Amino acid sequence: MGFIVSFSLFFLAVVINQSTVVGQTTAEAVSEFPKNDIRGVRDIVIKSALLDDNDPFKNKTTVQNEIRTLSLGRQNSMVDFPQVPVGEFTYINIHYNNGVVEYNELWTSP
Amino acid sequence: MVNTGGQLYTIEGIAAGLILLVTAFIVVNSTSVYTPGDSHLNDMQLEVIGTDALVMMDIAPNSTAAKSPLQTIVETDDSPAFTTLFRDIANFKTGSLRDDIQFLATVNYVRPDGTINSTPLSSSSRSFTGTEHAVRVTKWVLVEKKFPDCSALSCQGKHAALVEVLLWRD
Repeated sequence: MGFIVSFSLFFLAVVINQSTVVGQTTAEAVSEFPKNDIRGVRDIVIKSALLDDNDPFKNKTTVQNEIRTLSLGRQNSMVDFPQVPVGEFTYINIHYNNGVVEYNELWTSP
Repeated sequence: MVNTGGQLYTIEGIAAGLILLVTAFIVVNSTSVYTPGDSHLNDMQLEVIGTDALVMMDIAPNSTAAKSPLQTIVETDDSPAFTTLFRDIANFKTGSLRDDIQFLATVNYVRPDGTINSTPLSSSSRSFTGTEHAVRVTKWVLVEKKFPDCSALSCQGKHAALVEVLLWRD
């Protein structure tokens, strides 16, 4: 009987021991993930897609090249966003890769 | 003379005692000590504050299509406006006490030859010496501006710029 009780206490102690480790690993994973970088790139890519090249000084191509250069130079991430117009909608394949995290999204204009 | 049943109880007792000792060791051992390597948990909170402040500055008044305060600040290089706005958003708390977050902001843009240039935008009252434990937050803005070192007409119009802010507490 004593043996069984001490064994169950042992298992409960192992659970307590693991709980702190689990909390720390989760927090680390959350803080490593470049959530804000991805959101920022996505936001500016969508804004740039709504510009146009025909009007003088709207600079769509320039702006999109600047986005690629700046995110590689200042955020260590490769981004690319080929855009496909289909009928009245616009589809953008947003790709983001910073060597650790890869994010791909197909964005459709509303 | 000890009989077999008594011996068995003794052995069980000793085994259970050993297991309880190991249990106590595991429980005592499971506390985690906060070391300097764990400071990224506080950095995360500072990063959230900074990102939120920049997002708030990039929203046009009343959600109209007008330019956001951040766009206007970058276009006109309005350093005092950035200092006031960012300092207040980052440091105001519930109650009368203010937080003490310091910052250094720069604007990054692409030169016509494809290289990146950073220009200082604003900083808080305490200057950045390099020994602070700072976190970096960024915000993309689409600005209508002719950046320096380009006088050609083609440099006019819209450009992508990246506002970077270093944040630290002291």
